[in-house]
Amino acid sequence: MFARSRYRALGPIIAAQTDVAHEVNPPARPSVFDLARAWIVVSTQSVGGGASTLFLMRRQMVERHGWLTHRQFLEDYALSKMSLGINLVALAGLIGSRVAGRGGIAVSLIALLVPAAAITLALTIGYTLVRDNTLVRAALTGAGPAAAGMTAGIALTFTRQTVRRGWRRTIDYGYAAAVFGAGLFLGASPLIVIVAGVLVGAAFLRGETTRASGDPGT
Amino acid sequence: MEQFELFLVFLRAAALSVGGMAALPQLRQDLVSTGLVTERQILEALAIGKLTPGPTGLYVVSLGYFAAGAAGAVLALIAAAIPPLSMVAVAGIVRRQLLSPGAAGVVRGVVLSTSGLVVATSLTLLAPDRAILDVPPWQLILALAAAALAINGRTHPGVLIVGGAVVGVVLGR
Repeated sequence: MFARSRYRALGPIIAAQTDVAHEVNPPARPSVFDLARAWIVVSTQSVGGGASTLFLMRRQMVERHGWLTHRQFLEDYALSKMSLGINLVALAGLIGSRVAGRGGIAVSLIALLVPAAAITLALTIGYTLVRDNTLVRAALTGAGPAAAGMTAGIALTFTRQTVRRGWRRTIDYGYAAAVFGAGLFLGASPLIVIVAGVLVGAAFLRGETTRASGDPGT
Repeated sequence: MEQFELFLVFLRAAALSVGGMAALPQLRQDLVSTGLVTERQILEALAIGKLTPGPTGLYVVSLGYFAAGAAGAVLALIAAAIPPLSMVAVAGIVRRQLLSPGAAGVVRGVVLSTSGLVVATSLTLLAPDRAILDVPPWQLILALAAAALAINGRTHPGVLIVGGAVVGVVLGR
């Protein structure tokens, strides 16, 4: 926690230094091995996902290796927020493309996803072996509600970061609340809700681009 | 369900969502209704996903395993990677247009839609059939506390899950 707050305090200084340094002396294209190693660090050390993964991505790519500037990182992050599916996977692909071309995309995605997925699979297999144990079942009666609450909390955080400023915030929150009600009480189909979201968004929710800081990521 | 069908289920959920968690409502609808996974297994997958490294959306690997073993896990992972990969390709062509206010409106509509659905799904997982009064009060308090701490963002997700498990061992036996 302390390291993260210290990092935030130094962020603007580091960002300015890396931006200037890149203009004067563009970084060398990383080798496949170095790029893979950096992503494997992110993949295996960012326990809990979200903010933890985003934090390690920025530290590895911008601060430690200097392969892209803080500004470039934020631009790719803003683009990744528009991506379908897991945003941070898109961010990895965008960074890989920027620093090492098409090969960089493949290396980044594989090195980010495969180690983390292997650990997830191993833990899942281990869990299935003990899931019927009395103690484990009792633990799930607490871990389950905690996971459900956290999932709702993350979704609410996304909502807060997505709404526009000023009076239009009321419209945005109202729309999210209406979808919540439709999902809970009417059992609305996710597919229909997404299509409605595209149409409502294009017609009524235009404006500010997605904010690109302080995000828990996905 | 054939493996290719399962792959399409995961692909459709990923392709209709913005953010890893946003795929949850569609996955729940498709996997629970077909009997491939239970509501409890969804909660288990979410909890495991919070304890493991990498992007949060990798809970789909656990769900894939519960649905069809190791092959299901691999299919879920591949399906989860395809939509973000398409974004990389699109961004290479129309990067500036994607950062425009018009595109932001579409994304905002989808994000708000999926966020509303994810909150509704979370509540349904906690209290099936909206029987909120049947849920033990300590579980409701635990879920509310976890939601508040997740919004606050200062507590590590793994700590919340492990803390919830400890509370469960004490109160849920």
